[in-house]
Amino acid sequence: MSIEYSQRESEAPQVRLLCRDLTYRYPHANHDLFKSLHVDIDGSGFHALFGPSGVGKTTLARLMADKLTGGSGKITTIGMTHILYTYNMERLPGWCSVGDHLHDITPSLRSADMAPLVGTFGIQDCLEAHFSQLSLGQRNRANLVRYLLQEFDLLIMDESLANVDERTRQLIILKLKQMFPTKAFLYISHNVVEVARFCRQILVLRGPRKDPRILDVQGLDCRDRQKPETDQLNRIVLEVMNVS
Amino acid sequence: MFLRRLYQFMIVYGLGLLMLMGIKALFGLSDYVIPGPGEIWQTARQVFGGYVLDVLNTLQVAILGHILSIAMAFAVGIVGRLTSWMGSMIKTAAFNVQAYPIVAVAPIIFILLGDGFSSRLLIAAMICYFPLLLSILGILSEPVDDIEHFFKMTGRITWRLEVKIRAFQNLHKLTTVIVGSATLAVVGTIVAEFIAASAGIGVSIRRALYQSDLSKILTALFLIGICSSLYLACLEWAGRRLIRRWQAPGP
Repeated sequence: MSIEYSQRESEAPQVRLLCRDLTYRYPHANHDLFKSLHVDIDGSGFHALFGPSGVGKTTLARLMADKLTGGSGKITTIGMTHILYTYNMERLPGWCSVGDHLHDITPSLRSADMAPLVGTFGIQDCLEAHFSQLSLGQRNRANLVRYLLQEFDLLIMDESLANVDERTRQLIILKLKQMFPTKAFLYISHNVVEVARFCRQILVLRGPRKDPRILDVQGLDCRDRQKPETDQLNRIVLEVMNVS
Repeated sequence: MFLRRLYQFMIVYGLGLLMLMGIKALFGLSDYVIPGPGEIWQTARQVFGGYVLDVLNTLQVAILGHILSIAMAFAVGIVGRLTSWMGSMIKTAAFNVQAYPIVAVAPIIFILLGDGFSSRLLIAAMICYFPLLLSILGILSEPVDDIEHFFKMTGRITWRLEVKIRAFQNLHKLTTVIVGSATLAVVGTIVAEFIAASAGIGVSIRRALYQSDLSKILTALFLIGICSSLYLACLEWAGRRLIRRWQAPGP
C-alpha cells in the first residue's frame, strides 16, 4: 500500500495540489490518522493548515512533500514541480558561517534574491555568525531564507516562524507575497489571527472523531500592513475556531 | 594537558609502587621477589636507554596500527552506515566478529607472517579496530535529521556530505572513541610482543619475566605508562584543536 504521486503540466500559470482518498496510519498505531482525506490547495499565495496539536498537520504536510512512506491515496500536483517542506527545528551545518552557507546553497540564478531576502528577514548581522550563535528567532529566519533561495512551486512552512516576533513575522509574510506572487505557500501555524488575516485559504484539520476531517475557510489574504476591519477578521477567526 | 596526563600517571605509578612495598613489608618478602627501592633505581639506570628505544619501537607500531584501524573503521563504517543489504551485512558481521577475542588469533598471524613488524602491526590494528568500528558505525548510521533535511529536500545530499554532517555533529564522541582506542592499540602491540615478536618493550618484559626480574618489569611499565600517556595527551590535544577549529563557540 502506498500513495500514488503524479504530476501534471498546467497550461495556465496555475498551481494546484490535490490529495484524494488519503489514508495514513503510523506503524504500530491502532487507528488511522486520516481516512479518505481530500485536500485541495488551489492557486498561488498563502494557504494555511490550521488545527490543534497532534491532529496530523505535520504528517499531512510530510505526505504532500513525499517525505513519508506508507499510506494510500493519490496526490496530484498541477503545475508544481518542486515542493519543499521546512520546519522550525531545522539547523544549518555548524562548520561554516550562516553567510557562507547561504552562498554555498544558493543557485547562481537566484543569487540576486539573496540580499533583499536577507534584508527583509533582518539577518544581515548574522551572516558572519555560526548557526549555534543565533537566537531561536534568527535561526528560524536564516533557515527560511535558504529555502526561499531554492527553486520551488510550493513551500510548506511547518511553524517555520514560530520563534519570530509578531511584527517581523507579518513583515516577512507580506514580503513573501510580494516577492513570490506565482508561488504557493502552505503555512502551518497555531496563530489563528495571523492565518485569518494573511492567508487566502485556511484548511482546518479537525480531530479524528469529527467528520469531515478537513474544512476549508476563506481568509482575508491581506497584502499590506493596513489593519483589516475588526468585524471581518473576528468573523473568520470565530469560524476557524468553531470548526476546529 | 600533557603535564596533567603525566602527573596523573606518576601518582598512579607511585601508589602502585607503594602498594608493592607495603605487600613486601607486610608479608616479609625477600628482595628476590620484590626488590627494594634502591635496587629498582639501580636497575632502572642500567636498562633505561635500551628500554626507551624498545618503548619507542612499540609506540611506533601502536601508532601505525592505530592509524590503520581508524582508516579501516572509517572506510567500513561509511559503507556500513547504508541501509542496504551491504550495510546490514557489515553491521551484523562487525557485531559478531567483535565478540571473539581477537588476541586468540595472534598465534595464527605469527605462524603466517613471522615474528616481525607486520605481525605486530596487524595484531595492534585488529585489537583496536573492532571497538572503533562499532562506535563509528553507530555514529555514522545515526541520521542528523534537522540538518540533513534541507540537503535531502533540495537533492543536494551526497554520501560525503552525509558523513561530514554526522561526523561533525559527533566530533566529541569520535575524538573520545579514538583516544580510548589508542590504549587498545598499545595493549595490542605489547600482547603481540609477549607472544612471539622479536622487538619492542613486550619482548624486554618477556625476558625480564624469564629472569624473574621485577625491577626491569617495573622500569618497563614506567616507560610504557609515560609514552602512552603522552600519546593519549597528543590525541586529546589534536581532538580539541580540531573541535575548536571546526565548531563555533556557543551563543
